[in-house]
Amino acid sequence: MTRLETAATWAVLLAALLGAWSVAAATLPVPDYVLPSPAAVVASLGDLVVKGILPTYVAESLRRIVTAGLVALVVGVPAGLLLGTSRRVADFAYPILNFFQSVSGIAWLPLMLVWFGMGERTIVVAVNYTVLFPVIFNALLGVRSVPRIYVNALRTLGASRLRIVTDVMLPGALPSIATGLRLGLAYGWRALIAAEMLVGAHGLGFMIFSAQAFHLTARIMLGMAVIGALWLVLDYFVLRPIEQATITRWGLVQR
Amino acid sequence: MSVPAAGARAAAGRSRVGAAMPRAGSTARGALPFAVLVVAWAAVHRAGILPPIFLPGPGDVARVAWEMALDGSLAANIGASLGRLLVGIVVSVPVAIALGIVVALDRRLARVLEPIAGFFNALSGIAWLPLAVTWFGLGWTSVTFIMANTIFFLVFFNTLVGVRTVPRIFEQAVRTLGGRRRHVILQVMLPGALPSIVTGIRMSIGFGWRALIAAEMIATSTGLGFLIFNASNFHQTDAILAGIITIGVLWLLTDRLVLQPLERWTVERWGLVTS
Amino acid sequence: MKAKIAVRGLRHEYVNPFTRDRVVALDGVDLEVADGEVLTVVGPSGCGKSTLLGILAGLIPATRGEVLLDGRPVAGPGPDRGVVFQEFAILPWRTVERNIAHGLEIRGVPRAERAAVVRRFVDLVGLAGFEKKYPHELSGGMRQRVAVARTLAADPEVMLMDEPFAAVDAQTRITLQEELNAIAQATRKTILFVTHNVEEAVFLGDRCCVLSRRPGRVKTLVEVPIPRERRTWTLFTSDPSFDATKERVLRLVREEVGER
Repeated sequence: MTRLETAATWAVLLAALLGAWSVAAATLPVPDYVLPSPAAVVASLGDLVVKGILPTYVAESLRRIVTAGLVALVVGVPAGLLLGTSRRVADFAYPILNFFQSVSGIAWLPLMLVWFGMGERTIVVAVNYTVLFPVIFNALLGVRSVPRIYVNALRTLGASRLRIVTDVMLPGALPSIATGLRLGLAYGWRALIAAEMLVGAHGLGFMIFSAQAFHLTARIMLGMAVIGALWLVLDYFVLRPIEQATITRWGLVQR
Repeated sequence: MSVPAAGARAAAGRSRVGAAMPRAGSTARGALPFAVLVVAWAAVHRAGILPPIFLPGPGDVARVAWEMALDGSLAANIGASLGRLLVGIVVSVPVAIALGIVVALDRRLARVLEPIAGFFNALSGIAWLPLAVTWFGLGWTSVTFIMANTIFFLVFFNTLVGVRTVPRIFEQAVRTLGGRRRHVILQVMLPGALPSIVTGIRMSIGFGWRALIAAEMIATSTGLGFLIFNASNFHQTDAILAGIITIGVLWLLTDRLVLQPLERWTVERWGLVTS
Repeated sequence: MKAKIAVRGLRHEYVNPFTRDRVVALDGVDLEVADGEVLTVVGPSGCGKSTLLGILAGLIPATRGEVLLDGRPVAGPGPDRGVVFQEFAILPWRTVERNIAHGLEIRGVPRAERAAVVRRFVDLVGLAGFEKKYPHELSGGMRQRVAVARTLAADPEVMLMDEPFAAVDAQTRITLQEELNAIAQATRKTILFVTHNVEEAVFLGDRCCVLSRRPGRVKTLVEVPIPRERRTWTLFTSDPSFDATKERVLRLVREEVGER
């Protein structure tokens, strides 16, 4: 199927969908707020942009998730590498990391609320935690999966321990780290939305949550679309290419 | 999100820096790190670095957990959460797989729907909460809807991708053997897409479980999410920690006892590999 | 003349982690390699030849006995003993030239000098034009050339090669053997070459060391009376002394395997 055909099918599908939706919104015997029309959603977009609400909230949410990603890399990668270099330490850390990874940051939120109250810090801790653990865990796994022969080869070239970490462990673990970052951010983005709802800080999660209280369903739908689109863009245009690049460039494939 | 495995690993005599990670190893050895962790926790608590209200000791948490177990509240909340999880799985997984295969049969339709499914995938989880509450009000319907949603789209997407990436030649082979459409579906598409599907199931339950906990905090009055959130309103940090540990343990059990065996039983047994 | 490499009474044993049996891999190996000599080591499977090389490389500890390089005892791996492994141990995330340069990088050789050395060895192993390629873009034979170049570029005192051509197809293998022969003549390096392929051992070695089956000991040392300059495969297939030597070594190995 050619590009043109795909695009054409898309256009038809989209038109059909919007048409059906509009008709449903107009004719179904439910209050307006249950099923707003597509037009209402678009109007809401204009409204929020003009008022500056949407740009601000998007910026806030993005700021939080990007920061969490950076923190996860800066803290998580060295931590994972360190834990991974010794077999004993890695075996010890593995179940613990696995456990803490499966308890998402959101589950820690109530505790954070007691510690820090309803504020930015609570959100930051919860989201950073969520992104951090998959990165540490995957960095550790990445190091463990580096074939011993590379280490031996470097040792016979007279490399120091540090060299082996920078020249062998880190590059060898990179595909795994990329996957960990991708997973961590996936969890983190969702944890962020939830945290913004619970804590009430300015952000996309808060936007759709507070919209519900006022039955501004068009705004909810718009917010959802933005949330989905942002993640799609981040994942598809940033994270996935990075993951693919580390894998294909080095001709490595993962387990 | 599955990546094919390499023959590199199969290279003779190749050993890794680490041998195989502890899988279904001895329980004692698996529990040791946690024992150490608990001891460290107790020591930190004893040392009084943080005020006891902020960090209760393991003993306090155990006591509260025991009380909750005795008065049935723990079991009730676990039951509520797991029940929703189960409903979500039972409703979504079969439908998602079936729909995924049906759509994937028409390659053109699949190519068009895949990005849409990808989009809803990206949207999954807690972002549906306000809409769900608008439609169903507070309560377990909303929560289960969110969960089912999350699981559905992820499994659907993975099924689509999985079927799409089954080498065409297998289908052709079965057809030249006289196979009809149903043979192609059952004998080629389903097994071929299985690694992707199983990965999808595993991941979706992971995402779904998290969405569940978050949703329970906001939209309902039963379940583990509600338990810990409610406790925070009363600054009952020991109950919070008891709840958190329960959540972690439950997830690990689910993964160990259900998901990993599922993967082993289907995918690894057939020599297929998943990511 | 003092030997370049001297092995005295080398013994290596370990405990099999699965069966808890004590396994003696090497039982009293005595060996000397002269400076500039190519010594090949053959023997039946499991005779400990790779263990021997591993101990020489410093990657495996000896249970008893000593290994001397120029009279100095050896402990741990180091750039003085370059190793070419059987499996492709060049880093997949480095280009050909960066892999070859790795030993020099570690030693802190400045960039300009590194580049010159790398260029020399790229040419030596016949990989001109492939400097910027990644290992996964290369064939098996080419990857092994990179491995050899990397080891040589680091200028070790001796080269230890552990069945480096085993994983390569037969045609490429022959080419690599001839190339190695040329390199050995050009660089006059002391080389210890482990292989299970008798023809390869006779083609490459000045002397051929046959190890007994486990526990490994030196069974015999066989001289290969053909001068290195004359060694090409076409010549070899017509030279009777090659056949004779080959038969002899083969017979010795077969004795150890238990065939007649």
